[in-house]
Amino acid sequence: MNPSLRWFALFGTLAILVAVPWIAPATWVQFGISTLMLATLAQSWSIIGGYTGYASFGGSVFYGLGSYGTAIAMIEYHLPFGVGLILGALVAVTFAVLIGLPVLRLRGHYFAIATLALAQVVPAIVSNLDIAGRNIGLILPLLRNDALFYESALGLLVITTLSIWYISRSRFGFGLMAIRENEDAAAAMGVNTTLYKTLAFAIAALFSALSGGIHAYWITYIDPGGEFDITLNVKMIIMAVFGGPGSVLGPIAGAFLLSGVSEILSFKISSVASLFFGLVIVIAVVLMPRGLADLWHRYKKLGLHYFSENIRENRV
Amino acid sequence: MNLILEASNLVKRFQGLVALKHVSFGLMRGEIMGLVGPNGAGKTTLINLISGSLNPTNGEIIFEGNILQQPAFRRARLGIARTFQIAKPFSGMSALDNVAIAALFGSEGQQRTMHHARQFAQQWLDFVGLAHRSSMRADSLGGPDRKRLELAKSLAMKPKLLLLDEVMAGLNQTEIDEVITIIKKMRDQGISILVVEHVMKAIHALCDRVLVLHHGQNIAIGKPSQVLNEPAVVEAYLGKKHA
Repeated sequence: MNPSLRWFALFGTLAILVAVPWIAPATWVQFGISTLMLATLAQSWSIIGGYTGYASFGGSVFYGLGSYGTAIAMIEYHLPFGVGLILGALVAVTFAVLIGLPVLRLRGHYFAIATLALAQVVPAIVSNLDIAGRNIGLILPLLRNDALFYESALGLLVITTLSIWYISRSRFGFGLMAIRENEDAAAAMGVNTTLYKTLAFAIAALFSALSGGIHAYWITYIDPGGEFDITLNVKMIIMAVFGGPGSVLGPIAGAFLLSGVSEILSFKISSVASLFFGLVIVIAVVLMPRGLADLWHRYKKLGLHYFSENIRENRV
Repeated sequence: MNLILEASNLVKRFQGLVALKHVSFGLMRGEIMGLVGPNGAGKTTLINLISGSLNPTNGEIIFEGNILQQPAFRRARLGIARTFQIAKPFSGMSALDNVAIAALFGSEGQQRTMHHARQFAQQWLDFVGLAHRSSMRADSLGGPDRKRLELAKSLAMKPKLLLLDEVMAGLNQTEIDEVITIIKKMRDQGISILVVEHVMKAIHALCDRVLVLHHGQNIAIGKPSQVLNEPAVVEAYLGKKHA
């Protein structure tokens, strides 16, 4: 595709996405909001997991902190939503920096396990705090305006993606990729690995938390189980990896496609939907282990050989 | 004496194992010093201490008159570059971007833009004879080209001191000669070099002096032609009966 056509396709898609609340039925808008949020989460994960190579299972923590931060600011301190959103994000980023400094010293599986432990521990703490409504939860002021929430979620996704696009071609992004490929070599070449990893973790936390904040106001009732949902981590990772971690648009494509598949499956055959969803993922991993972004780039050259090559590489 | 690097009484202990025992030496500006010794003698440990990958248990390292205590990345920015024994390039990236990262983060890297870094990187790919491979992915390069890439990366950091850890291992005679030529050209640029090597031909061709380590101790230092014939050195390498 030539560049001008590509820009046309990109802006065309964006224009259609912006118009959804005015042209599509209400259920579509609600499906759209959750899909856009998952796409933002997949993008956030891609910063730390895709670009930096640190497979975090702690995304739900920052999502939840953003969500609770926003809710508490609005309920306890009667602050406007925008201010609450910023405060929630601030809490999550501070937590990411404080916890990132020790946890990011771990590598590989150990980092994954440590972040998974965080994802278990933080909701347990939150459900014992009075200010957070313990395990009963909190109720936010009601605002019935799905179009507004939809556009906020879309705006956040666009900002997240633009940030990733900028990072991917910056000195910072190159430093992150160097850390992913070989951390010792990166340090020996002058990359401040501790600073860069912590920044990447904090940026991922920022976008996850903003997404959580919007979610809290939209859903109006939040509880620890819902906002710190551990399966969110699995979802964002699968979507990012399916789409192509470390590419600018891959995780979005992954989130849209997998949300769509899962929605259609649960609509048609609700009882065995998750089984089919699992099957879709297994087939995807076998046929295109490096995600949609890789498929997009190399299918043109290799055609159907692309799949047979991957099967051979997987030794299935 | 114009020393760029000075090690005094370096000790490195890994729990029970003493990898380096009171090693002291000085490296002159513009000098190429060989670092030889049998496997496990502590050569790579010494490189790791200088580059900052490890901290010494005791003793100090002085670089351009200042004691080195900062983390590895700051030493890299001061002008200490190294290669790794097992060349592990940034595999998913092109050869050019591999070198561009060095150009972005090395000693003058902070002032360079992405565009400049890539231009500068291309210059060093030319220097090591990899210009025609610049857009290839690093993991599709063969063994000898990976060694060249390692050299280009360390050069793009604009080092004052270069630590080369067995860059010739696994190369054939022709390739070894090429790398010797490259290293000589590096010295002509004013870079001081500490080179760990098992290829004796290269040590003779390159080094002004050699430092021989055995069981973590400095057992000899001096001109290669003299030192490498000393009985203690021959014994360390080949066993007592050859000495």
